[in-house]
Amino acid sequence: MSVLAAQGLTVTLGRGVEAIPVLRDLSFRVGAGRVLGLVGESGAGKSMVGRAIAGNLPGTFAVSAGTLTFDGEDLVRIAPARRLALLGDRICFIPQEPQTALNPLMTVAAQFGEHLARLGVAKADRPARILAALDSVRLRDPASLLDRYPFQLSGGMCQRVLIAMAFASRPALIIADEPTTALDVSTQAHVVQLIRALQADYGTALLFITHDLRLAARVCDEMLVLYAGEMAERGPARAVMGAPRHPYTRSLKASNPTLSGPLRRLVSLPDQMPGIGSLRALPGCRFAPRCPVADAACGAAVPGVIEIGGGQAVRCAPGCLAGAIATDAAGLAMPAVVASGAAPILLLEGVSKHYPGRRAWHGRRAPGVDAVCDVSLDVAPGEFVGIVGESGSGKSTLARLVMGLERPSAGRIVVDGTDVTAADRGARIVRLGALQMVFQDPQSALNPRRSVARLVTQALEAADRPHDASDRIARAQELLRETGLPPDLLQRFPSQLSGGQKQRVNIARALCVTPRLLVADEIVSGLDVSVQAQILNLLLDLRQEFGFALLLISHDLAVVRYLCSRVLVMHHGAVVESGEVAKVFADPRHAYTRSLLASIPPDDAAAAWPAAAPRAAEPV
Amino acid sequence: MALIAFQILLRRLLLAAPIVLCVSALVFVVLRLLPADAVAMSLPPGATAADYDRLKAELGLDRSIFAQYMIWLGRFAAGDLGASIHFRRPVAELVGTALPNTLELVAVGLVLGVAAGVAGGLAMFAWRGRAAEQVADLAATALMSIPEFLWALLLILGLGVALPLLPFVGRLAPEFALPPHITGFLLLDSLLAGRAATLGSALLHLVLPSLALAIALAPLIMRVLRSSLLEVILDDYVTQARLRGIPERTILLRHALRNAALPTVSLIGVQAGFMFGGTVLVEVIFGYPGLGNLMVDAVRNHDLPVIQVVALVYCLLVLGINAVVDVLYLLINPKLRAA
Amino acid sequence: MIARMAASPRVVLGAALVLALALVALFAPVIAPHDPAEQDLMYTLLPPAWAAGGEALYPFGTDSLGRCMLSRLIHGTRVALYVAVVAAFGAMLLGTTLALIGGYCGGRVDWLIGRAVDVWMAFPPVVLALILLVGLGTGVNMVIIAIIVIDWTRFCRVIRSEVLVVMKRDYIPAARLSGFSHVQVVLREVLPAVTPLVVTLLSLEMGIAVIVEATMSFVGLSVEADVAAWGVMIADARQFMNQSPWGVVLPMLAIFLAVFAFNLLGDGLRRTLDPRLMVARGPAA
Repeated sequence: MSVLAAQGLTVTLGRGVEAIPVLRDLSFRVGAGRVLGLVGESGAGKSMVGRAIAGNLPGTFAVSAGTLTFDGEDLVRIAPARRLALLGDRICFIPQEPQTALNPLMTVAAQFGEHLARLGVAKADRPARILAALDSVRLRDPASLLDRYPFQLSGGMCQRVLIAMAFASRPALIIADEPTTALDVSTQAHVVQLIRALQADYGTALLFITHDLRLAARVCDEMLVLYAGEMAERGPARAVMGAPRHPYTRSLKASNPTLSGPLRRLVSLPDQMPGIGSLRALPGCRFAPRCPVADAACGAAVPGVIEIGGGQAVRCAPGCLAGAIATDAAGLAMPAVVASGAAPILLLEGVSKHYPGRRAWHGRRAPGVDAVCDVSLDVAPGEFVGIVGESGSGKSTLARLVMGLERPSAGRIVVDGTDVTAADRGARIVRLGALQMVFQDPQSALNPRRSVARLVTQALEAADRPHDASDRIARAQELLRETGLPPDLLQRFPSQLSGGQKQRVNIARALCVTPRLLVADEIVSGLDVSVQAQILNLLLDLRQEFGFALLLISHDLAVVRYLCSRVLVMHHGAVVESGEVAKVFADPRHAYTRSLLASIPPDDAAAAWPAAAPRAAEPV
Repeated sequence: MALIAFQILLRRLLLAAPIVLCVSALVFVVLRLLPADAVAMSLPPGATAADYDRLKAELGLDRSIFAQYMIWLGRFAAGDLGASIHFRRPVAELVGTALPNTLELVAVGLVLGVAAGVAGGLAMFAWRGRAAEQVADLAATALMSIPEFLWALLLILGLGVALPLLPFVGRLAPEFALPPHITGFLLLDSLLAGRAATLGSALLHLVLPSLALAIALAPLIMRVLRSSLLEVILDDYVTQARLRGIPERTILLRHALRNAALPTVSLIGVQAGFMFGGTVLVEVIFGYPGLGNLMVDAVRNHDLPVIQVVALVYCLLVLGINAVVDVLYLLINPKLRAA
Repeated sequence: MIARMAASPRVVLGAALVLALALVALFAPVIAPHDPAEQDLMYTLLPPAWAAGGEALYPFGTDSLGRCMLSRLIHGTRVALYVAVVAAFGAMLLGTTLALIGGYCGGRVDWLIGRAVDVWMAFPPVVLALILLVGLGTGVNMVIIAIIVIDWTRFCRVIRSEVLVVMKRDYIPAARLSGFSHVQVVLREVLPAVTPLVVTLLSLEMGIAVIVEATMSFVGLSVEADVAAWGVMIADARQFMNQSPWGVVLPMLAIFLAVFAFNLLGDGLRRTLDPRLMVARGPAA
């Protein structure tokens, strides 16, 4: 008996002949005590399922066909009052952004109390219930949290409060929409484990929505892989992860950098998932335009669902299932790394950055922050070095120090043999000649008022680089070609580009004056896996062509492993471990590195995860 | 809570002290740019050059501006606000009578304006997406295009002349005597003296001028409240409350309104300051014996001692009301309270 | 972007009204049926032509000295728009420059500008205007100076906070790393980002300037008493409000129309050029 069952669920945008089916013919079921993963990249329509259950589809979206049966009632046709009674009581939600999902003006006790009041708990019983619930999510010293406001809690703590609220009524169904995406890796593991434990204890059915195939394989019993609002593949989670059959699932798995095993070139699908606007032009299989094995027939008609056995099924043409994807079998060789014994292009010696605290009006200074403490590192020409750490570890400050956007409080920075610690005019000239930076968020790093052509050649506008307009256009075309962008983008603006295209423009701009060292701060963190693979491969190809060195800053260990030969692990501003990537990953020496590695679901589906006991390891 | 509020208020007022000093210096210097000769104007006809010099020295006008300022500041600190050249009465006395009247006017205007603005904002929010919203929106733009003094004249034309419903001259009907001076506030004093008829007349005289102020304020509040409600209603915690099965009405009143109140409260702070400016002409038009009337009279007669004190009083009022609004803001926003 | 502005009824209506007023001001001597100072003591306090007792000779009636209301209103437009345009541009230049300097440099410069704004904000604008006009002397140009000196803070406050928002975006350090000088960054990256806001505020400020001029001429501190300005007309007609309300109502309508036009335009521009919406829609859309 399933708690929730979707049958032929179709959600359309608009009405009548103009209607676009955003979710097309989706069927799934999740039973009591079971976990179903809805997996897909952004735009796959996975959150739309949650919204259909809650009955708050945006604006002109509507369920146009199919049923959503919860406990014998069809949620599509249910009376609004009845749905309101179910929500928060029998059906609960765990949100993506815990810190904004709590009202900033209400204390934990007030919000939890409001929820209990809605559940009909008598006022006198509420304090005890709240304390018990907070204790059940393993929050230390629950009583001290009652009068706190959300901004006084960490993201992980807020998420625990929300989990406690979701489980307070022992609901039959919980929908968790990317519950760990906004959290640090180490917190993520604990939160996931907590949700699973409570769900198993209470026999709750859990719909776990995520973009992370590896995480889904860990958390879920079954999973459903979505592509552009359509089912691509479904089946037992381990089977789908272990032996994916649909070309999309296979590509998705092969575009994820791994933490173990031999390094092979990632599969990068061309383009990106079609947006809602282009769905109408895809009457057949929506994956066909990007599919490595599709034929002409795929784009014409919607393929049927093929049962493979063992509960696994795909929506694909029978002929395509057999087709091999390039890397499935052999694996492409990684490009050779240029070894170099030359003098380092970048050298940091004992660099620190201290931010003094604010001086209070009575003259006392608050204690400051040591964002970076005593960091030394060197990067050889052509070498790719990674810096790994969680948010707040000081890795972004380090990038700004290297680039001269901040001045170090202590230590020495040498670029290409010249001391640039002083960050004066001369240092600026040295830096401008040798260093460039790719910023984390292209949305923020690209001036929305500049066209692509004016963005990538921005450096030519600097006073000491005379050029004429035709030089500039020629250079822009060259840069677009090198970064794999179509030439017709030249006159577009950033808002008209996809996320992957924006990041390519971001990289192209840094390459305009051919730097010898590129500093890249979290450049793939906002991107979908298949787009991330494109960018990572692009960096490898560009290195072959230009031979620049790279200082890659990332929270993602697998990305660092894929690109870099050496790695530094940062924690609270200090480097706790450094060395060859292969060595550090295989045999981490520092406890922090070990916990960081342990918090990522391992590639091997059989290995235990997470290994550490959550309560002891979690700092509150 | 009350203690925190008081501490914050005190700190705010302390921080305002240097601003007051700058303001007073600015007023003093600007007024000394005056091309007209205040001494000559305040001499009786047939005065001699000796009389002129004597008066000039008496007023301290023969020294440097800085010295004059220091003298003035010293006297001000000692409580000596000087004497009016034109009215030939102590400035303290003039301000003392006018100030309570202006405060009463602003208080009533503020209450009316905020009430109307909040009601309008909620109504516009409730009408979102409908034609009524568009109409109300355009009406708000139109209303905002009419300054206080035009509202004053319109109200006089409408409710004073065309439909003679309400009085529009002065503070009190001439047949009533002022109640005994206790607080200086006419409404309070007549209440304390138990004179219902006087209180009634005073209230009636307040209606039109305070309405003029309120109508100018309300559309601003209405629009800011509406747009912040529209923003807040999209926030995650509102969605999350919906997903918990909290009814829409509770969401609006408990979650959305409090969060949307933050920008509205800071707007009220700024606008309340501007409202004191609005009273100047409104008081002139209604012949209302407040600071504004005093100020304009003083300006017309180049009565420097009065001008500078009244200007300073206005600034103190603005800073005071800003401090109060800041405290209010801190009380609703726990994030700032903790900092 | 222009297409989007043209699609906004507020912008279209506001711009049309402003244009109409500008034409009236420009061709005032041609349009006005009479000399605005010409007195006709045979016809004093005439109601408009359409009301009972009106004369076709004076379409909007006459004032207490028998001067043509319509002609005076038309000439009043010149004073109003002259002050609106010059004062608003002056306040914009001063306020925006200081906002860019303060917001970009930060530190002590910004602190100083911020405190200056604090001091200015302590004055109710009308009170500061009165003090300035006492100090500077009266006259329409003094009113303009007063408006600039008072209202630069409106630009400075709003634009400075917008500059701070822009400064948080990564394209500012990115421009520095592209080799831009500080001046280049301000002019090519920061200024374009705040321009929509500046334009919006400019339009709203013109409306405010019209109000301030009318207020000051009402109190008798702006133009000479015999010049036709809307505020002067209201002040003159106020004594005869009981006999002839038109003398007050018509110049009020004129003020309302001008301010409404600028507010409508500013409001429409704000909605179409809002920087927050810009990012979502893209400037080329």
